[in-house]
Amino acid sequence: MTEHASNPLSPEAFAAQETCLSPGYNQGLTSLHPPQKSLIRIGMIIRALILLALGLAAEIGLQIQLGVQPGMVLIPVALIAAVLVLVLPGRIYRRWGYDMGDEQLRVLRGFLWRTDTIVPFNRIQHIDVAQGPLQRMFGLSALILHTAGTHNSIVTLSGLATMDAEDMREIIKDHIRQDMI
Amino acid sequence: MNDISTRPVPDNSAPFQRLHPLSIVLKSMGTLGQNVFAILILHFSLFDQNIVYSMLAALTLITLVFGVTTLIWSRFTYQVTTREIRIKSGLLNRNNRSISFDRIQDVSLEQKLVSRLLGLATVALETGSGGGEDGQLDALARTDAEKLRDTIRDYKAGLTIGNDGADDKPVTADAPPLFAMDNRRIFIAGLFKFSFVLLAILGALAQNLDFLLPGGFFNPRSWIDAFPEQDTINGFSSWVRIGGALAAILSLIMIGFISGVVRTFVREYGFRLDRVDSGQPGFRRRRGLFTLTDMVMPIHRVQAAILQTGPVRARFGWYHLKFTSLAGDAGGETDHSAAPCASLTEIEPILDECAIHQARADLMFQWVNSAFWWRRAIIASLLLTSIALGTGLLVHSGLFAIILLGAPVSLISYLNWRQHQYALTDSQIYVRSGWWRRKLTILPLRKIQTVDVSQSPLDHPLNLATVTIGIAGGSPVRPVMIKNIDFDQAMSLRNRLITQTTNIPTAD
Repeated sequence: MTEHASNPLSPEAFAAQETCLSPGYNQGLTSLHPPQKSLIRIGMIIRALILLALGLAAEIGLQIQLGVQPGMVLIPVALIAAVLVLVLPGRIYRRWGYDMGDEQLRVLRGFLWRTDTIVPFNRIQHIDVAQGPLQRMFGLSALILHTAGTHNSIVTLSGLATMDAEDMREIIKDHIRQDMI
Repeated sequence: MNDISTRPVPDNSAPFQRLHPLSIVLKSMGTLGQNVFAILILHFSLFDQNIVYSMLAALTLITLVFGVTTLIWSRFTYQVTTREIRIKSGLLNRNNRSISFDRIQDVSLEQKLVSRLLGLATVALETGSGGGEDGQLDALARTDAEKLRDTIRDYKAGLTIGNDGADDKPVTADAPPLFAMDNRRIFIAGLFKFSFVLLAILGALAQNLDFLLPGGFFNPRSWIDAFPEQDTINGFSSWVRIGGALAAILSLIMIGFISGVVRTFVREYGFRLDRVDSGQPGFRRRRGLFTLTDMVMPIHRVQAAILQTGPVRARFGWYHLKFTSLAGDAGGETDHSAAPCASLTEIEPILDECAIHQARADLMFQWVNSAFWWRRAIIASLLLTSIALGTGLLVHSGLFAIILLGAPVSLISYLNWRQHQYALTDSQIYVRSGWWRRKLTILPLRKIQTVDVSQSPLDHPLNLATVTIGIAGGSPVRPVMIKNIDFDQAMSLRNRLITQTTNIPTAD
């Protein structure tokens, strides 16, 4: 650990850490329903389009004002957009995971900022199963757990197959008890 | 025998009541007070200091305010049934709210100075649904307010311990308080509440009332001119000038202390914490010089205890005990103040009431990874260096000195690291944090709701993690956190925290 310690921001050290973690990106937890990857990609495409539009505007503006070479802005932006759409969805997808225990649900979220939450079933106040229009297209649902905690009052596990989400809700429902606080 | 099944169904025949008529006067006065300024401004500007116009405007305003307040009052009704309270309010948009007694976290009575003279009290009901009070009855006659509180308390008593609990009602006023503060103690507490609020108020007053002061009051030149002999000042030695500057600084510090003491007296005067046993066992807190508050919080709602102190206060052994519960304290504070200035031996019996134990002397606190401070110090130094370079090159070479700020920032990070420790026992976790605002959170493991282990991008190369514990209540922006410990240590710590919540299904 000390060899990294001198330079915490070094990309090499970061990459080395990344590869040594690679066997179990999500620590061997259950992966999300595969169509979730497509959903993430759609979100990324939208972000990439916004980015491209902004880049185009910046490019035109800079060209008129300062006369910069064409492509000085657009090419890097296009590269970032390509990374967003082609590379990131798969990486984000494999970082997420959940584990349905007997007494608790474990949810692993996030890509760069990773959060690993455990919610004991008997601490859950109520449960939602939610589905947006895009999620419906892919047969996905989000399981939303409400706890009494002020921090983590809502824990969302998105990207479950609708059937799974409903099954999980039924299992958790039996554990909900009155007046936990 | 008095359990839920035999309890009578909520009787809807209970009459709808209005608030005390005097509350119209109270509220109108409040609204008028806010509008006196507007009248004054009109008097001096639009009406050109014509007293007749101004009086007419004032009269119109008073009638309007009284009329609207009366109308609002007449449309505000509440009904107390056997298990809930219903509040109907609203002039055009009618709002019909019912609050079940089960869901009420705590009941507080508040009496502002005018209310005390009129014998009124405001009842605030907290359900902990976030966003301040959920039901406020402003205002009832003091006796009605107390009756309402007792109704809620008795309902809860019947629910938890049946009839026998309601029978023996010890007179709590005679029992010695769990904790009380005399004037000397309040003075000590005030000394540590050093603040410049009074100065700010004085400044704001001067800003707003400057039309009362002679012209050029804030113009230093007019003051200098007021001295008959300017030369005498110039003739003073530099020592006298330094002395003058020191005196100015000292007087600022004095003002800071005085305002702290005054504010503490206004808030904490007559502080008294009792244990109430009629109904659900709870804490009853009374305090206030002008505004009297009287709050009752059930003991089983206490989620965690917080002991706050500072580097100076800790030397004298004074601590501020707070309880975290789902509902927040008055004045936007997230925790209920239970003993604003107490020694550890005084805090002990209060904590015993809610089965929370102080750390034993031999309990080993563990430190977090030293990356906690050096990483911050490096980032802050890099940031300050770039700012210093940027401004130093572009604006003024003196700004290179910004780099020197890195030293105090690093020192504070280091001191904060020294204070950030945690310890785990079989039933509780202790988390210490902060160097200047020292905070020891004592959290019974059975109150834990969720546990997070999180890593930021900077944590990955060092394999560190932060453990965040979700409890009911407390500050949403500053939850209980153990920052920057080893990842594996974090995972095993979480396992130990979580097994406590799941293995004891009867815990609540």
